[in-house]
Amino acid sequence: MTLPKAQVVVYPGSNCDRDALWACKYVGFDAEFIDIYSDIDADLLVLPGGFSYGDYLRVGAVAAREPIAQKIKEFVSRGGLVIGICNGFQILVEMGLLDGALLQNSNGKFICKIVDLEVVDNSTPFTSYYLKGERIRLPIAHGFGRYVKTNDVNVALRYVEDVNGSDQLIAGITNANKNVFGLMPHPERAMEKILGSDDGLRVFLSAFNYIKNNGGVRG
Amino acid sequence: MKYLDILETRLGRKATREEIEAFTVMWSEHCGYSHTKGYIRQLPKVGTGGNAGVVPLDDYHFLAFKVESHNHPSAIEPFNGAATGVGGIIRDVLAMGARPTAILDSLHMDKVIDGIIEGISDYGNSIGVPTVGGELRISDFYKHNPLVNVMAVGVGKNDHLIPSKATKPGQVIVIFGGATGRDGIHGASFASEDLTGEKATKLSIQVGDPFAEKLLIEAFLEMVEKGLVEGAQDLGAGGVLSATSELVARSGLGAIVHLEKVPLREPDMLPIEILISESQERMAVVTSPEKAEEVLKIAKKHLLFGAVVAEVTNTGRYVAKYHDQIIIDVPAKLLEDSPEEPIHDYTPSPLKKFRWIRFKDVDAHNVFERYDYMVGTDTILPPGFGPAVMRVKNSIGYSLTIHSRADIGAQNPYWGAYITVLEAIRKTLSVGAKPVAITDGINYADPDIEPLGLAGQMKGLKDACEQFSVPVASGNASLYNTYKRKGIPPTLVVGMVGKVENLNIPKPSKGPVYAVGYPDFSIAQEKKLQEEIVRLVKNRHFVLSMHDYSRITTFKTALAKLGLNLRIQIPRTEPVHQLIIVFGEPKTNLPIRKIGFCY
Repeated sequence: MTLPKAQVVVYPGSNCDRDALWACKYVGFDAEFIDIYSDIDADLLVLPGGFSYGDYLRVGAVAAREPIAQKIKEFVSRGGLVIGICNGFQILVEMGLLDGALLQNSNGKFICKIVDLEVVDNSTPFTSYYLKGERIRLPIAHGFGRYVKTNDVNVALRYVEDVNGSDQLIAGITNANKNVFGLMPHPERAMEKILGSDDGLRVFLSAFNYIKNNGGVRG
Repeated sequence: MKYLDILETRLGRKATREEIEAFTVMWSEHCGYSHTKGYIRQLPKVGTGGNAGVVPLDDYHFLAFKVESHNHPSAIEPFNGAATGVGGIIRDVLAMGARPTAILDSLHMDKVIDGIIEGISDYGNSIGVPTVGGELRISDFYKHNPLVNVMAVGVGKNDHLIPSKATKPGQVIVIFGGATGRDGIHGASFASEDLTGEKATKLSIQVGDPFAEKLLIEAFLEMVEKGLVEGAQDLGAGGVLSATSELVARSGLGAIVHLEKVPLREPDMLPIEILISESQERMAVVTSPEKAEEVLKIAKKHLLFGAVVAEVTNTGRYVAKYHDQIIIDVPAKLLEDSPEEPIHDYTPSPLKKFRWIRFKDVDAHNVFERYDYMVGTDTILPPGFGPAVMRVKNSIGYSLTIHSRADIGAQNPYWGAYITVLEAIRKTLSVGAKPVAITDGINYADPDIEPLGLAGQMKGLKDACEQFSVPVASGNASLYNTYKRKGIPPTLVVGMVGKVENLNIPKPSKGPVYAVGYPDFSIAQEKKLQEEIVRLVKNRHFVLSMHDYSRITTFKTALAKLGLNLRIQIPRTEPVHQLIIVFGEPKTNLPIRKIGFCY
């Protein structure tokens, strides 16, 4: 059988694209970069962190209106898995694929550190390798990560303590179908113990095995 | 007016207005190193030289690294001054064909200046290069003249190493990146005078655009990957003039520059303004005419401006034209050949007892947690524990440390510099690394008023490097750090890279904690101490090497983040000492005393 395939969308200004590619390959994905004009041919699509278009307008706002946006929406409607990390989360929110908004951290500053999180929902394709209620440690690195709720959303990850002023300590959410996952923490930076934590590994393993067991959406 | 006389003597005629502008930039202290080049020549060196220092890492990769100051701009406009300091040094490393992988900063200021931190944070975070370490020195010495020294490091493949010069006539020079405006005109000259000088206005400060820098990095690396780059230089101080003239002067060639081809964002700029503007996020690429189109295509793909701006000639003359009008026409070598000030002999006084001049103990987490220190997923030892340790995926690692001892420099410039180098070596050894080379950041007040202090600083650097076998790969000099003629203490910033063969470095763990070594200093003991650090790390002990153990708050917070607490009696030492803190139960022949425990 062919390997599950991941594509990492490189927007101008993305800067965690290479880290995301490394993480996908690390768990066994056949992985490659695509740009904003490419067609999607993947089982898992990763919108990586960074500062797309410098985030000079609203964070993620310009990237969400690129030619690839329509293709991403179509991919989601076919049941394809999409994970948006940090800036990728912001882009998904701007695209309307996830509810809510991401505003500037309550302290007005960029924050980079490893934080404690609680896995709230382990029934998503991205979190099945965790236990419900499990405490994990993942890095955060963002200036605009304060999640503001507009509707009831399916919360997948919560901060254990307040780090950026997010409503109800929300760190990661999914859509109703649970095939779109957006989170501010960086699982792709926590793949190996030598980097301080390997708690992010299971996000990619969960997705990999979900695709292996349920079949991908390519073809 | 002394330099004008020299210029006119060398030209054999009166200089034109445009020539005066051009040479004001090129012969400024900032670009020309008039007061320091005599000293720099005497340093033990390594590598080929160029935009940044280069040393081999393993069989396939090289490390490119350099420290640079952005003191003057940061004093006037903290945010953009510091931001463009990061951007400029990143491009130096990039120009060697290396992907920038790490930033470190050495900050000296009288309090934590938010604009400076924000500038570094905003720029470094956006371009996706982690800020992995630094030093934060808070003291009234720097009330008017904050020092912002930024060190950048990059990793490249050996067959991608790019020379910092043109190699043959017929090549062309492409300038690509952001468009050129009037920002930063005479920035180089402003950075070469007292802060109350006439050029100290915001007009001479460059404005940073980190998004353009990120695009520039990716575009340039794609050009390198495709074999399109035959030589490169970033555009920093002195802009088009400095970059294009240095590229050809280094190989005895000449150039014809067509200023009307430079993409502008302010259409009504004068030709001389186009020539010397210091607009950021631009690179000059030397390539063959047939490859130029592909170079421009890549620039465009990455949303950047670009144009073939110059041809390389064999005339040895640097000719800048605006359409048919000749703006300047001078020997290329003359632009590079800035006048050299005499250097002074310096005989160090014997080592004496120093006074403690303590810097404030601040928790640097409040600063470095505003920097992304993890992007790239190669940061093995994060900030807070001493030197940073980075890896190259599927290869070995390298250590990075940046260090200075202005408190000693203020009492004796020679020993200040000397001790800085020694302590940087100890720090490097403390993470199991082997010192490879340094980049030196000379920060000094007014060399015309106190020439001997500069001589002492340079001699201390030279002696320490020679005696302890660590060569210099690159460097930077920032002089005239004065305000109303009152200056900073001689502040030598040393950036050191080391090679880490075993990435499984000892981390702090629970257990007893010892002070090992001597509370005072003698050169005779130094080698023994260094060997002892190597042995202790090899025996899996975590070793902490600091100059002032009373400033331990940052380290304690770093431990707390690992779930560890430290209860120790702070060992008393002289300001210059040979004492290290060792975790665990070390076996050693040096004096040893239990000072507490980690739990």
